Amino acid sequence: MTARKLNCRELIEFLSGYLDDELAPEERAAFERHLAQCPYCRDYLATYRATIHLGKRAHSAEVEILEEVPTEIVDAILAARSRSETR
Amino acid sequence: MGRTEREPEPKPQDEQSLLLRLRAGDEAAFAELVRENAARLLAVARRMLRSEDDARDALQEAFLQAFRGIGRFEGGARLSTWLHRIVINACLMKLRSRGRKPEQSIEELLPRFYADGHRIDPGPPWRTEIPDPVESREVRTLVRASIDQLPEIYRSVLLLRDIEELSTEETALLLDIKADTVKVRLHRARQALRALLDPYFTNEVA
Repeated sequence: MTARKLNCRELIEFLSGYLDDELAPEERAAFERHLAQCPYCRDYLATYRATIHLGKRAHSAEVEILEEVPTEIVDAILAARSRSETR
Repeated sequence: MGRTEREPEPKPQDEQSLLLRLRAGDEAAFAELVRENAARLLAVARRMLRSEDDARDALQEAFLQAFRGIGRFEGGARLSTWLHRIVINACLMKLRSRGRKPEQSIEELLPRFYADGHRIDPGPPWRTEIPDPVESREVRTLVRASIDQLPEIYRSVLLLRDIEELSTEETALLLDIKADTVKVRLHRARQALRALLDPYFTNEVA
């Protein structure tokens, strides 16, 4: 039996599944064989991973939650609750 | 020091006692719930809605829903997790109520292939020293603006899965689409985002 071969298009289709560890063993083996011999797909995988990482870091809580939430926002929410209670 | 989504963890008994007070209608408990969670949840609403007014509206709507639904909160999940889902849902409602803009096709941002499966014009690799968006406002702004360029059906999935870190199943439930559709859209959204960032991060740009 010959081992399954992937081309670049198929590799990119399998990329998410590869990163989520959802590929069947023979798909994973074929994915890794292609990767070992294709610098373009290695680059694509690296930049795809970097993209996910950049998205996460650009929205990281470390950046966004430094300030306290303004008192007026808290007060508005509590006032809206009182209004909805008395309705 | 920054706070991440899941810390600091309140002690379970603190949460339990807060929950009892909320269910008993204790005014101070409502204020405590808002004060402890509003900053984190406002950040969620801001990144989903891109408008400060809409984000504040969604936050308020989410808390009102939470107050009304506190009797239904089962306690199986964390209170903070439950609130997080409610805010996301309030934001999605708001996005839907904005009406559909004609959306550009995502196809042109996806890789193209020759008939034999080789990629057309793979381009140069990215340089290795890309600044961390947490440290660099410029990179942060670029990445966020690029995510905002994605058509909304892709942007929502990317935000829910990669940024809010919901599971495929939770995302499918909130967006009322199939889990397989979530996977397909997420993969396309990441590829499109990669293509939007590509010109800024390749070796050829100084």
